[in-house]
Amino acid sequence: MRKFWNLLKKETKELINAQLIISLIFTFFLFYLMGTLAQGEMAKAAAPQEIAVLDLDSSELSRGIMNGLSSANFKVIALTTEDRQSAIEQARESGASLLLVIPRGFGKSVLELNSMSIDTYYFIRGFSMSATSASGMVKAVIATVNNYISDTYIKERLPGVNPEELKNPVKNKDYVIVKDRIAEGSPAEVSSFILSQSTFLPIILMLIIVYSSQMVISAVAMEKENKTLETLLTVPINRNYIVVAKMLSSGIVGLVTAGIYMVGFRFYMSGFMGNVPTSGQIDTVVQKLGLAFTPQGYLVLGVSLFLAILCGLAMAIILGVLAKDLKSAQGLLMPIIFLALIPYFISLFSDFNSLSWPVKVLLWIIPFSHPFLASQNILLGNYLPVFYGIIYMFVIFAILVFLAARIFSSDQVLTMKLQLSRRSLKGIKQ
Amino acid sequence: MDAVLKVEGLKKNYGNLQALKGISFQIQKGEIFALIGPNGAGKSTALRIIATLLSPTEGKVEVLGHDLRKEPEKIREKISYLPEEAGAYRNQRGVEYLRFMANFYATEPEETKEFVKRGAQIADLGERLYDKIGTYSKGMVRKLLLARALMGQPHLAILDEPTSGLDVINSLEIRQTIREYVKQGTTVLLSSHNMLEIEFLSDRVALIDNGVILDSGTPKELKEKYGANNLEEVFRRAVI
Repeated sequence: MRKFWNLLKKETKELINAQLIISLIFTFFLFYLMGTLAQGEMAKAAAPQEIAVLDLDSSELSRGIMNGLSSANFKVIALTTEDRQSAIEQARESGASLLLVIPRGFGKSVLELNSMSIDTYYFIRGFSMSATSASGMVKAVIATVNNYISDTYIKERLPGVNPEELKNPVKNKDYVIVKDRIAEGSPAEVSSFILSQSTFLPIILMLIIVYSSQMVISAVAMEKENKTLETLLTVPINRNYIVVAKMLSSGIVGLVTAGIYMVGFRFYMSGFMGNVPTSGQIDTVVQKLGLAFTPQGYLVLGVSLFLAILCGLAMAIILGVLAKDLKSAQGLLMPIIFLALIPYFISLFSDFNSLSWPVKVLLWIIPFSHPFLASQNILLGNYLPVFYGIIYMFVIFAILVFLAARIFSSDQVLTMKLQLSRRSLKGIKQ
Repeated sequence: MDAVLKVEGLKKNYGNLQALKGISFQIQKGEIFALIGPNGAGKSTALRIIATLLSPTEGKVEVLGHDLRKEPEKIREKISYLPEEAGAYRNQRGVEYLRFMANFYATEPEETKEFVKRGAQIADLGERLYDKIGTYSKGMVRKLLLARALMGQPHLAILDEPTSGLDVINSLEIRQTIREYVKQGTTVLLSSHNMLEIEFLSDRVALIDNGVILDSGTPKELKEKYGANNLEEVFRRAVI
């Protein structure tokens, strides 16, 4: 064991170099900075927007509209000019995002049930998130105005009738059923909540698989490039320990690297998502439906994640043997990235159950798919496919480690590249 | 005398290419035995097989009674190998590299310290031993690697072109070091293109060409047999 720790220590130290540390710090701060900027933009977008109003009507209805806008989180700037062009100029100078022009005779015309237009001008001063959100305000303003007018009309003509009841006499209640549990709530809200909670899992998995695999391929490639592999293979240590030490050190460093990136990424995402309002009831609904990870669920998911990482490491160490140097090692990472990207994108844009059979089979064959599938299955209480996935990944890992150990215990660790080059040369000649 | 290494009918094929065509030789304890021959003769392949890096296609190799096919790990405990184109970990300091390697051979921390101390003496790099290996010259790296190969006083040191790419002064120092360590009980198997080096160092020599040992003996015996003044002439006449 002393020899193994000696090797593990060296492998870990070799991977943690100044280049890695600098790139980690840089990326972390980049994410942090982007998150802070995004948060600022989101706060601006969510803040009360200034709206200029040219009220040429000065009726009770037009004043009511202005009051309605104020209560709908708009900061109303009432313009005093009579001229539309100078109103545009005043609104521009005031920095308002919108200008509403209420024409003369508006109140009278509307109360006589003759529709009339309110002209809306909106100013685009940039293309940032807060600037472009102004365009969405138009609909909100018109909706507020229409609501106010219809409410006022109903109150005048039908005193004692609740305008809301009259406008929406038929209502519906949504119920969501998961297995044998029922809760009142919107399925769309439940789905988006669950997705928002599990957004990070595919990203974490992608990062860990790619980083750890890159580390292990680089570790083998570095030995070849620095011409240290031959010496290492002649020291008195079991060759399997060399394989395990390289995999373990790369796994540890990859895990830490991915963890640091994730913290940075979380800052970045919270910049966008931190202010997204959610219904206060959604937590209760999710709890009622049992759509929360239990400690056992986390444990099973952890095992699934861990095995996927091990599969990635074992694949990477075999591919690393083919590398001639660090440069060629980068290209060899592509198959692993590709295999990790397939389930990643499918999980982002589609649902496993809605896929065709060939695609389902393809996903099942890829070991990295299983943690993606596991997270949803665990939430829905379908543990059986998760356990099958774990068994499958374990078998794949055992086969890959066996192959890696065989390669490291034979000439192939030194000659595999040579044999492949000869084969490809023969192919060219033929 | 005790044979440290026995090689019988050793063959190695790389696909259709026959790198070794059945070579046989033995090395006795305390001997310096050299394989000399041109590029592609099979010297490095033979050394890499004995160092447990490559497996033989046919034939038998025994190091101190341990069969290469059956007990490669036992053999690794008894040998040390210096490849022709070897490197060291650039991010480690010289002393860290020696300690890292010593830990594989030493059975306890005190022995590790002893090996590192001896390695530092052989490398003779002074304060530079505490610098990163990435800052070393080629000669300094080669001296460090030789120190690594000899510090544990292996039963058999396999040295492939030990002075490859070194200047005259460094080459002389390395040859001197090898001689000193043989006196302390290490047996050496080496290969080199440099016939002068072989003549200076070796007790016995095997001439190898195209995967076959053409002849072997002490430098003196071979020179007398071929009526030559030096090993270069011996080799030329043996090949023709």
